[in-house]
Amino acid sequence: MRHMRTTDTDPAPGLGELPFHILLALGDGPSHGYAIGQRVEEESGGRLDPTTGALYQALRRLTAEGVVTPVATPVEVEPRRKYFAITQLGRRAVTQEAQRLASLVRAARQRGLYPGRA
Amino acid sequence: MRVYRWLVRLCPDALRREYGAAMEETMARRLAAARTAGRWRTTKVWWRESAGLVTLALTERWRQLVSPKHKAKVEPASPKPIAKAGARQRMLAPPKAGIMDTIAQDVRQAARRLTRTPVFTTAAAATLALAIAANAVIFTLVHRVVLNPLPYADSERLLALDFGIPSRNVPSGVQVMTWQLYHQLADNAHTLDGIAGYYGSGATLTGNGTPERVAITRATPSLQSVLRVAPALGRWFTETEGTPGAPSVAVLSHGLWVRRFGADPAIVGRTILIDGVPTPIVGVMPVSFTFPRTPVDMWLPAQSTRASASFLFSVQGVARLRSDTTVATARAEITNLIEDLSRRAPNQKSLVSTALPLHEAVVGTIANALWILLAAVGLVLLVACANIANLFLVRSESRHREVAVRRALGAETRRLARYFLAESVLLGVVGGTLGLALASAGVRLLVAFGPVNLPRLSEVRVDAVVVIFTAGLSLLAAIAFGAIPLLRLAPMTATLHDSGRGQTATRGQHRARHVLMTAQVALALVLLVASGLMVRSVQHLRNMDLGFDPTSTLAFGVSLPERTYETRDRATSAHRAILDRLNTLPGVISAAASSSLPLNGANYGNGLIVENELNDPSQLQRQFAWFRAVSGRYLETAGIRLIRGRTITQGDVDRREPVVVIDEALAAMYFPGKDPIGKRVRSAAPANPRMPTPPWLEIVGVVANTPTATLTAPPLPQMFMPMSIAGGPDIPAPALIGPDITRMSYVVRTTHDPAELVGASRAAVEGVDANLALAQVRTLQEAVDRAGDQMMFTMVLLGVAAGVALLLGVIGIYGVVSYIAAQRTGEIGVRLALGAEPTGVTALILRQSAGVTMIGIGLGLAVALAGGGLIRALLYNVSPRDPIVIGAVTLLLTAVALVACWLPARRAARLSPLEALRID
Repeated sequence: MRHMRTTDTDPAPGLGELPFHILLALGDGPSHGYAIGQRVEEESGGRLDPTTGALYQALRRLTAEGVVTPVATPVEVEPRRKYFAITQLGRRAVTQEAQRLASLVRAARQRGLYPGRA
Repeated sequence: MRVYRWLVRLCPDALRREYGAAMEETMARRLAAARTAGRWRTTKVWWRESAGLVTLALTERWRQLVSPKHKAKVEPASPKPIAKAGARQRMLAPPKAGIMDTIAQDVRQAARRLTRTPVFTTAAAATLALAIAANAVIFTLVHRVVLNPLPYADSERLLALDFGIPSRNVPSGVQVMTWQLYHQLADNAHTLDGIAGYYGSGATLTGNGTPERVAITRATPSLQSVLRVAPALGRWFTETEGTPGAPSVAVLSHGLWVRRFGADPAIVGRTILIDGVPTPIVGVMPVSFTFPRTPVDMWLPAQSTRASASFLFSVQGVARLRSDTTVATARAEITNLIEDLSRRAPNQKSLVSTALPLHEAVVGTIANALWILLAAVGLVLLVACANIANLFLVRSESRHREVAVRRALGAETRRLARYFLAESVLLGVVGGTLGLALASAGVRLLVAFGPVNLPRLSEVRVDAVVVIFTAGLSLLAAIAFGAIPLLRLAPMTATLHDSGRGQTATRGQHRARHVLMTAQVALALVLLVASGLMVRSVQHLRNMDLGFDPTSTLAFGVSLPERTYETRDRATSAHRAILDRLNTLPGVISAAASSSLPLNGANYGNGLIVENELNDPSQLQRQFAWFRAVSGRYLETAGIRLIRGRTITQGDVDRREPVVVIDEALAAMYFPGKDPIGKRVRSAAPANPRMPTPPWLEIVGVVANTPTATLTAPPLPQMFMPMSIAGGPDIPAPALIGPDITRMSYVVRTTHDPAELVGASRAAVEGVDANLALAQVRTLQEAVDRAGDQMMFTMVLLGVAAGVALLLGVIGIYGVVSYIAAQRTGEIGVRLALGAEPTGVTALILRQSAGVTMIGIGLGLAVALAGGGLIRALLYNVSPRDPIVIGAVTLLLTAVALVACWLPARRAARLSPLEALRID
């Protein structure tokens, strides 16, 4: 969608789909790899079904960029399991992306291409 | 799970340390969840996950390699929130994509898409791998055997001295010449930069360890300069060592040096006993050296001078062409020199030089067969690509909506092309790599178990050229079947308007499929015809009348060293003693000997003069005859069929009777339409007042023709004489009337398995002289089988190619017809609901695909008939248009193809109308 301009000052393209879904899945609280994968699949309607490798690669990326952070594993749980939580930066990124998408939906409604009130 | 853990180890360390355990745990849970859904789901999940993991490992490692500063970025950063705007910008935007990153992304996404459909990916990759492997193996053969130059310096300038006798209807293929001719050429040929003579023989090596029979090549000292090779140790022969009477020396082959002398570095100077003669070793050849093509254990000097040169055809020649002339010029000069020589030595009068590059002489007829095989596997690859293209078509059509959306939103065609090509190229890489691995194994199997007389087999291996060829072919194939969905992109803009899935198939798409189907059927037919013709050739070969009976016979060679057996008579007695012992062994029906067995090569030959036709100028216009010296009852022991008269008996040998038995070919050539019994012939020696003329020999019998070198060559005229009147070490060359009998081949006919008699035969031979050894122990049946090896080899490979093409073709047809039937489900439902009979519906679908199939068969027939001439060289006694083969193959393929069309048609018609309409 290169010819669409975002309302933000920076012209960079938006957050990728998989990272966005991961952050969404973490919105309710910290979670671990398997559960995140399940939620992403559900919430994307089956369209996104990342393999374990792809999932952790994305988590690693997000951790490096500071939007996600590893947290301590609860004691009663299998020690190998790694838990992740969304950071403040992450919340801000989700907000920004959601705003962008909302403005697109608004524009589509205004032009009568999408049902609902603009 | 263990495997998964091992796969995790492929990832870079940092990733593994951080997330390895967590990934394993997640994977374990996913597997557990999948197991409740059944084995099929579990397998799917497993394959997908593994592929995803491998992709991850590869991309992470690639990134590590390519951008070290990237590593710093992906190290887990401290979780402190970074409040700077620039940092936020950087965080919210993925790093600026370089070209490598884009490609990596494409590849990663393509890999993801492929792993999501494991059935398609596995089918496509496996089909491609098999076809690529077949092509790589045959190409390896073509490259190393046919295309690669011989392993000598400047090998294109080496000539094999070959001759023809056009006046006797022998266009070429006479590979032996006389020593007289050798010296004539060595002295006077300006177009040649050097000439060497050589001939093969054998001897018994004694002195350190058990006596061993070794294969020897005697060669002139000039061989070193002609071939431009140098020994790895020591030196080659000097000029003096090549003169008669000079002390003998030996140069070992690398193989013999390692095998018998333990690669002793001090071997040069040691003396060994060859046929009892102490011979110092002066050199060892390098491991890669082999000349002539059959394995040679050692080289001894061939001793000859102009003065002593014989007129017997007993030496082969190889020469180096001078750098500024051509083969044609050399041939002309050699023919002139032969003319010149024949004034002194008339028996060489009609020889004409047909010298050819050594490479052609070595590679021979196998080149033809190999090129045809390469074409055959190329066709199989085409069929495989057609199948994969069909699979891709299905895939691309099921995603057309997604692609159409992207297109409408402005994605450029180039990006979409990358989208499709990434998948096909990735598939190509996987298929090609697998194919190369399969091919390496296949080549190794081939070298170990392939036909023994495949020339240059020892040089066959997978090298860089083969790898590059395989890579190129895989890429080409990938682009070919990846381009198909691209070509279908153009009409896709219309698809956005469609509502349901059922109407999306347009006529254009059906046409593409039908074209592919036609092509597959045609290609399969061509291959099946070729294969069928080869099968009939082999059948004819097996059923041919050999003229002798190879069953239940043991054969071996015995060579009497000239030192101990200096006269022909002593040699005759020794052979008689051995035969007497052999004949008393239990299980032996009879034993006999000959200077040359069937399929042992042409060996000793000369012109023949017929009595009372001395004044006939067409006398010497006849072809050579090939002489064999035999013991009594040889013809019966070998099972050679007697046609007229009688055979050579032991009495003839004992009394030195001047008699001969000739074969049908000689009778037809020298006595056409007349009864040869009672006529007299003698060897055509040139008039020499100092030497007695060879005696006249009376013809007492006629036997059937027997093959000399190959099974398929026309029979050569042969003559059998008692060994006691043939040649020996005490008979000077000009007075020889037959082959030297110190070397004889024995034939033992047994009541049971010949192999059981090997030990007893060896004991019998050693009982006469403990220094003798058996050479080339084999059964005559083996020799016959081996002679048919090359043709069998070609037949088997062509058969496999044809079988694979048929299988792929059938799968392809089934797939296409199924797909088209599925597309027409709506129409079928309507028809059924309106009361049409299921058989009528089946017929409807069948009509269309059957029509396409028949077009394919017609096309294939046309190609097979037109291209028949290409395969003619490989066939034996079979016409390339043999109606039985073509008819049978056409029927078979038609039947199979129609069944493949009918099955899915029938299944489609079986649907209830409601189901059919609901599917839409």
